[in-house]
Amino acid sequence: MFTSVLRQATKSGLSARAVRKTAAYASPSRQTFIRTLITKKYTQDHEAVVFDDSTSVGTVSVTDYAQSSLGDVVFVELPTVGSEVKQGDQIGAVESVKAASDIYAPVSGVVEAVNEALAGQPGLLNKSPEDKGWLCKIKLSNATELDNLMTEEAYKEHCENS
Amino acid sequence: MLLSPIFYHYFRTPLPYVQTLGLQEKLHQIQLLLRRQNAHKDILLLLQHRPVYTLGRRQQADDPEVVAEGSQLQRMGADVVSTKRGGQITYHGPGQLVGYPLLDLGRTAPAMGIRDYICRMQTALKLHLKEEHGIETSLNDNTGVFLDETTKIASIGVQVRHRLTTHGFSINVTPEPVAWFAQVVACGLVGVRQGNIAEMTKTQGRDAVAVELEIEGLAGRFGKVFGRDMVKLDLKEKELGPAIRALEEEAEELQRTHPCPQTPAIT
Repeated sequence: MFTSVLRQATKSGLSARAVRKTAAYASPSRQTFIRTLITKKYTQDHEAVVFDDSTSVGTVSVTDYAQSSLGDVVFVELPTVGSEVKQGDQIGAVESVKAASDIYAPVSGVVEAVNEALAGQPGLLNKSPEDKGWLCKIKLSNATELDNLMTEEAYKEHCENS
Repeated sequence: MLLSPIFYHYFRTPLPYVQTLGLQEKLHQIQLLLRRQNAHKDILLLLQHRPVYTLGRRQQADDPEVVAEGSQLQRMGADVVSTKRGGQITYHGPGQLVGYPLLDLGRTAPAMGIRDYICRMQTALKLHLKEEHGIETSLNDNTGVFLDETTKIASIGVQVRHRLTTHGFSINVTPEPVAWFAQVVACGLVGVRQGNIAEMTKTQGRDAVAVELEIEGLAGRFGKVFGRDMVKLDLKEKELGPAIRALEEEAEELQRTHPCPQTPAIT
């Protein structure tokens, strides 16, 4: 029951804070060990990863900042399902206005799924970069790598100053 | 804070494509390394290629249709190479000026967005055609420079990795590339033909309008649009000089032993 409440929270797009609040209604022993269960982190190269602690899977996308700087996306190159990637590896590219921009793995792990919808609708990346235009899902091999990435506030600052 | 200049170099002899790609890669790696100490240089390579058809990232090299067409084009006397740039199939060869700006888009704060980069490149090309030759260009939704709805004179195809650019643009200067372009649907644009500067300025003979004569003017306008000084690259420069000289020597040797075919060998 605990898990399914969390899953619903994710689906409705509630923030990490809301998730923690729901978790507080769980058993007392669970309460002492509460960690953030849904984490969103950012890279210098404008990728984002939403990490679900319960499944150890991170959903990778580019950020809204990235899609607006790219222009209209006409083609998205994605990694192969099942391939093993290391943090920082090139895992695909986004093509817009004749510029192919490489994208990099924000975390190490195995690619579990890629967003097939992007093949027919590359524009999803512009319309909904951090949601419907997700790129791939990686099963993390090392969750501590997330500590190397930026939080939302740090990323916002990075965009303003970089 | 004044930004550093862009260092440019023009290659005298048409370059083989694969080796030039190798040079771009090498310069890219040097930039990546030196960027850690903010000691990297922005570069603009200006050159011609030996006849070659290149494919963009979207075109799978092992697609049977691509392989079949590739063999046919090779029999005509051109190389066929797959690349990681954006855009589709195009032709490069003598008579066409090719430019590879190897820039760090992150030099400014905020960084230059890709859309902005492509836009400026297009603006620089259009400005050069207008100011140098009085050629009016038309607006077009497609990337590149068009003379009218069905005539394209310049193409763009770029790759960006960690904000460092490779590949770039090409402008048709003489009529020599036209027969080669006719063998493919360049840039995936059906019904579009390739124009060139010579036909627009109604000059006779291959020597009157020439790629070498475009260099200084184009470099200057590129600098103007990007807000940077353009400085000739000193080949004694220890990081970049040797690699550039090596490619130039290889191209000269190749031209001596295997001069570029001027027209496609059509059987």
